[in-house]
Amino acid sequence: MIQKKVCMVGVFGTGKTSLVQQFVQSKFSEKYHSSVGVKIDRKVVDVNGSAVTIVLWDLAGRDEHEDVGASYLRGAHGVIYVADGTRKETCEQIADLRRVATAAAGPVPGLIALNKCDLVGDWKLSQADEEALRANGPVFRTSAKSGQGVEQMFLAMATVLVAPTQGAR
Amino acid sequence: MQGGIDVYGATDVGLKRDNNEDHFIIAGIRKSLDLRQTSLVDRSAFDALRGPEAQLLVVADGVGGNVGGERASETAVQALAEYVSRAAGCFSRFDTEAEQDFLADLEGAVRKAHERVRAIAEDRTPPATTLTMVTFVWPRAYIVHVGDSRAMYLHNGRLRVLTRDQTMAEAMVDAGALTEEQAARSSLTNRLYSALGADEMVPVVGLVDFVPGDVLLLCSDGLTKHVNDQRIAEVLATFGSAEAMTKALVADALAGGGTDNVTVVVARMVG
Repeated sequence: MIQKKVCMVGVFGTGKTSLVQQFVQSKFSEKYHSSVGVKIDRKVVDVNGSAVTIVLWDLAGRDEHEDVGASYLRGAHGVIYVADGTRKETCEQIADLRRVATAAAGPVPGLIALNKCDLVGDWKLSQADEEALRANGPVFRTSAKSGQGVEQMFLAMATVLVAPTQGAR
Repeated sequence: MQGGIDVYGATDVGLKRDNNEDHFIIAGIRKSLDLRQTSLVDRSAFDALRGPEAQLLVVADGVGGNVGGERASETAVQALAEYVSRAAGCFSRFDTEAEQDFLADLEGAVRKAHERVRAIAEDRTPPATTLTMVTFVWPRAYIVHVGDSRAMYLHNGRLRVLTRDQTMAEAMVDAGALTEEQAARSSLTNRLYSALGADEMVPVVGLVDFVPGDVLLLCSDGLTKHVNDQRIAEVLATFGSAEAMTKALVADALAGGGTDNVTVVVARMVG
């Protein structure tokens, strides 16, 4: 079976763990748990008739004590960058997180989960800010709480990871 | 001391219980090929077989308050020692694929141990046990956790809990049905929603990289009922050896009341 390692990366509290939990278990926890190290989950998805195991590495968020663990990113096939629409600063760090991830994992596919879209009325982003995010990859509006956009985002990543690369034999 | 890690463990029946339902193991896992003689000039192929040693650390806390709990934790620990030593056969050379397979094998070993515990009961209700297992291949610790025993680590003077208790109280807090304060007072803190041998067994898999100076602690809830995180951090930060840390924490648990069996395993990273 095809197996792909996908890392979840972002500032603390953006909802990385909740997105994984919603995708894998269809659950949402009201309580915030700060992650330590890496939590690993896996889910088998169907991509164009092929079973693909996505192994999700949920990395502890960047905070004032710890940076993103570059050693955990090595060997990743794809990276999902998670930002919180209600905290503009989490979006502003995406470009730097992408730089860190690319240095560790190489130029692997990446996409952005712009999370907490159930709170879109509280978002601090302008249309231009959201457009600027797209410079770092495709942007998916997600809500780990309601599930909106979550399945689509992970399936998009799986599809990209198994898509043939032009020139490959 | 084993391969740059100073490890020590201890268990105590406590002051209120008649028997000890906790079990632990600390084991080194090595390649089995022992080259005695060869005509080969290039022996580099054998270097990897002498390569890094893996460590297996396990704490299990039997559930049930009877002999069944003791048997459950004993069975789980024995089964894991057997299955993990097989799974760890490739531990010296991890590429991405091998590491994913290794993680799946560790989880598979826990599932097999779960089946072994369930088989104890034959046609009766099976006993159950918690499990916190760390397979350590420097600098990475692979953690599989079920129940409410804990793994914590001290890094840069800061104590972090690596596991989450799989209790009904925690589940209620997650669902927003109880506040943390209400949960702490609730009898649901003693009820596990997931354990080896139980109807529900939900292994949680994670990993963390260590650096010299870090300290890893595995413990049964007989420690955390009586010793708070601040004191645990103080002991891990100030005592000079894994043995001294372990003995101090067990002594603190007993001094705090010793209402449950207490088991502590400490691994101190020395580089």
